[in-house]
Amino acid sequence: MASEMEWNRRSFIKGAAVLGTIPLIRGGSMAQGEQDHSQVPSGTVPKKPLGRTGVQVSAMGVGGYHLGSAKTDQAANEIVAKALDHGVDFFDNAWEYHDGLSEERLGKALKGKRDRAFVMTKVCTHGRDKKVAMRMLEESLRRLQTDHLDLWQIHEVVYDNDPDLIFAPNGAAEALVEAKKQGKVRFIGFTGHKDPGIHLKMLSHDFPFDTVQMPLNCCDATFRSFENQVLPEAARRGIAALGMKSLGGSGELVRHGVVTAEQGLRYAMSLPVATTISGIDSMEVLDQNLKVAVNFETLDAKAMQSLRDQCRVLAADGRNELFKMTTKYDGKVGREQHHFPTTKELPL
Amino acid sequence: MPQVSTGTIPLKKFGRSDAKVSALGFGGHHLGDAPDEKTAVEIVHRAVDGGITFFDNCWEYRRGKTEIWMGAGLKGRRDKVFLMTKTCPHGRDASLALQMLEESLQRLQTDHLDLWQCHGMVFDNDAELFIRPNGAAEALAKAKKDGKVRFVGFTGHQNPKVHLAMLKTGFPFDSVQMPLNAFDANFRSFEQQVLPELNKRGIAALGMKPLNGHGEAIKSGVISAEEALRYAMSLPVATTITGIDSMEVLEQNLQIAQNFTPMSEAEMNALRERCKPDAADGRYEVYKLSMRFNNPEARIAHGFPLDTQQSEVKDMLGSELNTGHPFNEKQF
Repeated sequence: MASEMEWNRRSFIKGAAVLGTIPLIRGGSMAQGEQDHSQVPSGTVPKKPLGRTGVQVSAMGVGGYHLGSAKTDQAANEIVAKALDHGVDFFDNAWEYHDGLSEERLGKALKGKRDRAFVMTKVCTHGRDKKVAMRMLEESLRRLQTDHLDLWQIHEVVYDNDPDLIFAPNGAAEALVEAKKQGKVRFIGFTGHKDPGIHLKMLSHDFPFDTVQMPLNCCDATFRSFENQVLPEAARRGIAALGMKSLGGSGELVRHGVVTAEQGLRYAMSLPVATTISGIDSMEVLDQNLKVAVNFETLDAKAMQSLRDQCRVLAADGRNELFKMTTKYDGKVGREQHHFPTTKELPL
Repeated sequence: MPQVSTGTIPLKKFGRSDAKVSALGFGGHHLGDAPDEKTAVEIVHRAVDGGITFFDNCWEYRRGKTEIWMGAGLKGRRDKVFLMTKTCPHGRDASLALQMLEESLQRLQTDHLDLWQCHGMVFDNDAELFIRPNGAAEALAKAKKDGKVRFVGFTGHQNPKVHLAMLKTGFPFDSVQMPLNAFDANFRSFEQQVLPELNKRGIAALGMKPLNGHGEAIKSGVISAEEALRYAMSLPVATTITGIDSMEVLEQNLQIAQNFTPMSEAEMNALRERCKPDAADGRYEVYKLSMRFNNPEARIAHGFPLDTQQSEVKDMLGSELNTGHPFNEKQF
């Protein structure tokens, strides 16, 4: 996923105080050079219902990709432990993240704590059949050191023909049903970052998904919008919505000065979603997120609209959501399966 | 290679106008891949002799090199051709577009263009930016009024919806350029969504990327170059623009064009069907799904990142070095 020219979005946010351009949402602007040393408030991250499942999950979740980017296993353990202590129980992952390292890390971090966590991972068949999916499931369970997943989702539905391949006879959709029947997964869903139209195509198959994951942020609201086109459809079907890319995937919304990290996360978490998954690769970033998420209160409609309006002009060509207009976020495995050029050959 | 000229390239009507253009057009970008200016000039001479009248170019191709080379090749032959180039404001002001026109005329060594098009309409807000007060629409209108260009149009390779939005602005385009090939027919299709509208309005349809940009589908053996070109040329278009970077490629294309017989509807259907499985994810139409064909000007104007795979970016690298010699791209 990383390209040579990619910033680590969080190192920008760490440096934000130095640049002096980004006011924090609480307590007014920081003087240049100051760090915010205020503590994470005591309290917990609220829970929200996971659609019709009867289960509740934390309103903020820990992203699996960036957990694999944390400096050490120890750092990852500490992030997970502190997240759990503040009531964060939703953990995202995927079979293909960092060639399995992300899942292995989460497995180690949750040892002895598995029952406190809601563990989700994704299957990365990218058009291949049920057998491949079931094999990947076994590998995920082994790496995560568990005998079951709380949620198993089909990863990265981003090519126009992905729905056809997934729902073909013997396709990945059948694997989801079988895994549920075998008791290896509690709930099932799918994810994607490219185009609301592709999500709607998936939903139109009337398949019993429990969840659907998509990018949700204040620029998405006015550009090829998952919020406008997919959220209502998911709600209509009683499918839980999981938000991701609240800051653009690599912090683009913040880096480009469109919103602060706090505004971005707060907007996303205020949408009608079960959880907002956020990439966290250091304690600093976890703390920054927890300051928003602990005792979280949603923004009112007026504040939400104000943020949409603030973002509208810069959202219009998709510059802050590179996952929609470019191939930057399209993973290696999907490219291979769809006979697309590699990331090196086609970075954008 | 013996020159087999058994026929002449058909001439086709340019939309509603009285002008006629060759059914095969000479693409400007690939000319920049010729080894040197001398070869490029020879290729252009041979193309004109072979019956190609439609010449395509663009202000931002290869940082001006292709317009310079084509200008050199067309010297003394200007009246034989229908010369088009594009302007590249990418949402910025009319004054910039007009400045680019002056630079294009200078490089092409001519005082007028037959066709001037607004380049690369690919972003969701490009139509809005085009038609706004002080937008490129005003430049197109002015250039036409001042007699510097005969006709005006726009181009884009990414999204039929953007083309439709451009048409919806109501601006009186004479031409519209878009990718047309047997894969496009079944994937986010310009052929299905835009071409009928152009035919209805009498706007000249200019097809490009008959070989999908870099011939990937031909290399994979799904389709032959001849089939691909014949398919595109058989559509209801004024011309099919194809890239030519060597004398060998030119001769192959001239062969096909001079002996051109349109494909039947049945043949075209059969080809679409054959390409349909590979069309489904757009693997041979990377220009619809990525930034690859968006030049630095377009990206910067829209706040998108550059990447070093893109030819104009490679062209830029090294020009910051003060070597004491005139900049020679061959160094890099």
